[in-house]
Amino acid sequence: MSDPALAQHLPGQRAALRSRWLAYALAIAVIIILPLIFNDTYWRTNLTVCAINVLLAIGLDFILGYAGQLNLGHSAFYGLGAYVSTLLIVKLGIPFWAAFVAGVAFAGFAGTFLSLFAVRLRGHYLAIASLGFAVIVHQILLNWISLTQGPLGIYGIAPPPAIVIGGVVIADFHNLAAFFYLVAGFAFLSYILLSQLVRSPIGETLTAIREDEVSAASLGINGAAWKVFAFGVGSAVAGAAGCFYASFVGTLVPDAFFVSEAFNILAMVIVGGMGTLIGPVFGAILLTVLPEVLRGFGDLRLVVYGAALTFVVLFMPGGLAQAARVIAEKLGLRRST
Amino acid sequence: MTTTIVLQQAINGVVLGSLYVLVALGLTLIYGVLVQINFAHADFVTLGAFAAYFFMHLVGGGYILSIAVAFVVGAALGWLINAAIFTPLRHKGNELLPLIATIGVSVMMQNVMLAWFGPIPYAFETQYSNEVIRFAGIFVSWQSVIIIIVSILTIALLYAFMKFTFLGKALRAVAQDRETAGLMGINPNYLIMLTFVIASALAGMGGAMLAPVLVLTPFAGTSVIVKAFAIVIIGGFGNVEGTILAGLIVGLIESYTTQYLDPGLIDIVVFALLLVMLAIKPTGLISERREENV
Amino acid sequence: MKALRTLFVSAAAVGLLVTAAQAQDKTIKIGALFPMSGPGSYFGAQDKQGVELALEQLNKAGVNGYKFVVQYEDSSCSPLPATQAAKRLIEQFKPDVIIGEECSDATLAVMPVVEQAKVPLLNAGSSSIKVTEPGNPWTFRIMPNEVMQGINLAENASKRMKAETAVLLFENTNAGIGNAQVFKENFTKAGGKVLAEIGFGRDVNDFTAIATRVAGLGKVDVIPTYTLEGQGLKITQALAQAGVTKGGGGNAIQIGTIWLPFGFEAKAGKAALGYIRIVQFDPTDTRDVAKNFASAFKAKYNADPTHLNAHAYDQVMLIADVVKRGGKDAQSIRDGLAATKGYSGVTGSVEFDKTNQNTKMDTIHYMETKPDMSWTSLKWN
Repeated sequence: MSDPALAQHLPGQRAALRSRWLAYALAIAVIIILPLIFNDTYWRTNLTVCAINVLLAIGLDFILGYAGQLNLGHSAFYGLGAYVSTLLIVKLGIPFWAAFVAGVAFAGFAGTFLSLFAVRLRGHYLAIASLGFAVIVHQILLNWISLTQGPLGIYGIAPPPAIVIGGVVIADFHNLAAFFYLVAGFAFLSYILLSQLVRSPIGETLTAIREDEVSAASLGINGAAWKVFAFGVGSAVAGAAGCFYASFVGTLVPDAFFVSEAFNILAMVIVGGMGTLIGPVFGAILLTVLPEVLRGFGDLRLVVYGAALTFVVLFMPGGLAQAARVIAEKLGLRRST
Repeated sequence: MTTTIVLQQAINGVVLGSLYVLVALGLTLIYGVLVQINFAHADFVTLGAFAAYFFMHLVGGGYILSIAVAFVVGAALGWLINAAIFTPLRHKGNELLPLIATIGVSVMMQNVMLAWFGPIPYAFETQYSNEVIRFAGIFVSWQSVIIIIVSILTIALLYAFMKFTFLGKALRAVAQDRETAGLMGINPNYLIMLTFVIASALAGMGGAMLAPVLVLTPFAGTSVIVKAFAIVIIGGFGNVEGTILAGLIVGLIESYTTQYLDPGLIDIVVFALLLVMLAIKPTGLISERREENV
Repeated sequence: MKALRTLFVSAAAVGLLVTAAQAQDKTIKIGALFPMSGPGSYFGAQDKQGVELALEQLNKAGVNGYKFVVQYEDSSCSPLPATQAAKRLIEQFKPDVIIGEECSDATLAVMPVVEQAKVPLLNAGSSSIKVTEPGNPWTFRIMPNEVMQGINLAENASKRMKAETAVLLFENTNAGIGNAQVFKENFTKAGGKVLAEIGFGRDVNDFTAIATRVAGLGKVDVIPTYTLEGQGLKITQALAQAGVTKGGGGNAIQIGTIWLPFGFEAKAGKAALGYIRIVQFDPTDTRDVAKNFASAFKAKYNADPTHLNAHAYDQVMLIADVVKRGGKDAQSIRDGLAATKGYSGVTGSVEFDKTNQNTKMDTIHYMETKPDMSWTSLKWN
């Protein structure tokens, strides 16, 4: 979120920069400490799932909140990243990181392809087209058994190979804490990348298109090209999340990428605060942890989940980000603009 | 022998199509007037089916009456959702928010139904379910015949309502241009509420009609909802004739894909068709107006 | 003299109280991984009933001074939620033994977790061969796997039923596809011919199109069907309507699946005539253990038990038997399970081979549906 008022004042700009770097340092510190506080396998697993969901949420927010494109099919790119990378490793013996790059690239291309196809569509049409795409991808993963194993599943997927420097094992990814650092670190870097894109001229272009496509066109901005770019980046990030998912859970079945998963990711973005990038980070964390914490509720767990989603939309559509802003204003930490 | 199969699958397809049309009609009606998607629509269908079931089994009512009960339950739900969700959110202007709110409602409804009714499928039998008509090597169950008859009746009534009654014309006016309609003295809010109530009542009624055919669990709705959306788009959002045509086409695709290919490919074929339609004619098979916001 | 007697009685009383208090402290913790949310809750809800009945009976007197405590976690029939549920169970409840899951995908995902935690997993619901074939010392399965069932079914179809042609109908899941593949292999080996393999998604409601296709395939002798009761009902009715099966005036007989519960026939009506299938629990079983279970279940729940109720009951009862033989913690229960011999459960006998698969064939019961919709037990095993 760039604040134009601040941009004009150099000292103000420096202050904003300083506070941002402070926030990043704080984030790094939190990431490092978390697995040390939660040192049992159950919570460390949850932390890693949080990190994967953060990746998914920020990627979707970039497409949805910044490029203003109604993408209801994010699960497709998640699944493509997971399957492409895993199949390359398992069937062709390709090393993990090469397969990772391939998975990310494939997902990115799929997003680009869908976006090119749907570039003329808007609003609800794009929404249903993306949903249709997600259904097709899921069905292909399910039915092309000779390639993907379909419902029979792929088992025993190994975590990334250990990082060994000079004979010394720096990181063994069988260790849950190490795996968490890997995914959280990647999510952190992705966040910085997307955040920089948003602040750059590219981001301002996207905002312009989102607000008013017609005027933007009159200024000579090629809306279509930028939308496709945003879609490609967002879906590539989802592909990365998929690669991590596969090697983390160790088991890959197509139903993990059923279209309802796309709605889960959407919920994380909305609850966090669409278009704020930082909001979806917390939305992802909240909606990953909430079902775990609610396990005591038994049958009512998902009812609470659905109710939370509905009420957020009704009463606080800006999500957690809006709530945070409101609280900050009330506490006098922030001038209301 | 082959002609029999082709003919039989054609009939199967038409029955299936009528099934989908009953669900999709309400969706397209809502979209035509409100430009809104209600993700909980299929759950209204499911709830209608359960309402009919419990009316028959707890109260001991007859099947035909249970359909009326489901109609009323659907209407009540529609009124509630409109009042609680669509009206408050209308002023925010964001087209995504109500959609997401309805996703939340859908999750809630499914899990409340799960808590109340449990996960074991209910066997909804009526005196018509298993009776079969046979002629020339073809078979149709009475239930299927009922589905087709009711679908045709519903469509005819809806059509008559839209074309010949004042309310119907007012609805179409609001669909075409809300502001001008308002200027002409039509109260859009009242009409929007009416649309919702009618569409959801249709959904509930559809549920009672479909209950003998569906695998009746709280998740019955999810099995049809995504295809229903595809039908609405293929037919043309807001266009009743298009929805009917698209529904029949999808039904036929299903039966012929099952016969000559594999049931697992049905969804792929249907959604590939959807994407093709969106590529070449996004306004749908039968486009009326509304070219600008495509 | 009186004082001495009072002292003696008091000491005895105190001693009894102390032992009683100590006996209260001895518990065996059973973790239960069942799907409790979503469509998979179909399994979880019924499993829980079986478990609760077993607990009620066992905890009246305890076993070897031990009482049994169960903690349920929702594994949602899916790999990631199942591993999360398993880890939570292990970290927080610290069970001595875990029972579950139902869905093969979830069971396979959970197996490495329990192996690492060194807690035995006792499964009674997943049919995939991969659960036991690789040989995991910490996973035990009392249910006959897909290979056992498939070989047996194909053999019986070919030899006893004299079937020459078959059409496979199966849901597009791990278990559905796996079972169908095994049948096909063995039926073809025995000289039979598979005319078509028709897989369908869990979201299909109307089977008229599939039934029509089967009707057009010519002479079909058997139709192995692998699906759950909701869709199973629709398939049976559609096949009858199409005139394919005996119930509709045709000649084909549906066979197969271990997943259809008792009571299915009542719902299906005359369409189910002649249906022959493997069941995990035989309600006409004359063994005392089965009869007692059925009447106890009816008394508690006012309904006839299904195979899900039965196999969950068996899981807990088998654990109790291991405790009786001296099991008291994860390692000793594991060893006790492996050493099981001559145990008779509601679903059949239990004896594990070296891959910890129960190979007793009396767990495969065959039933045939009579014209009056009741079951006859076919003594084929």
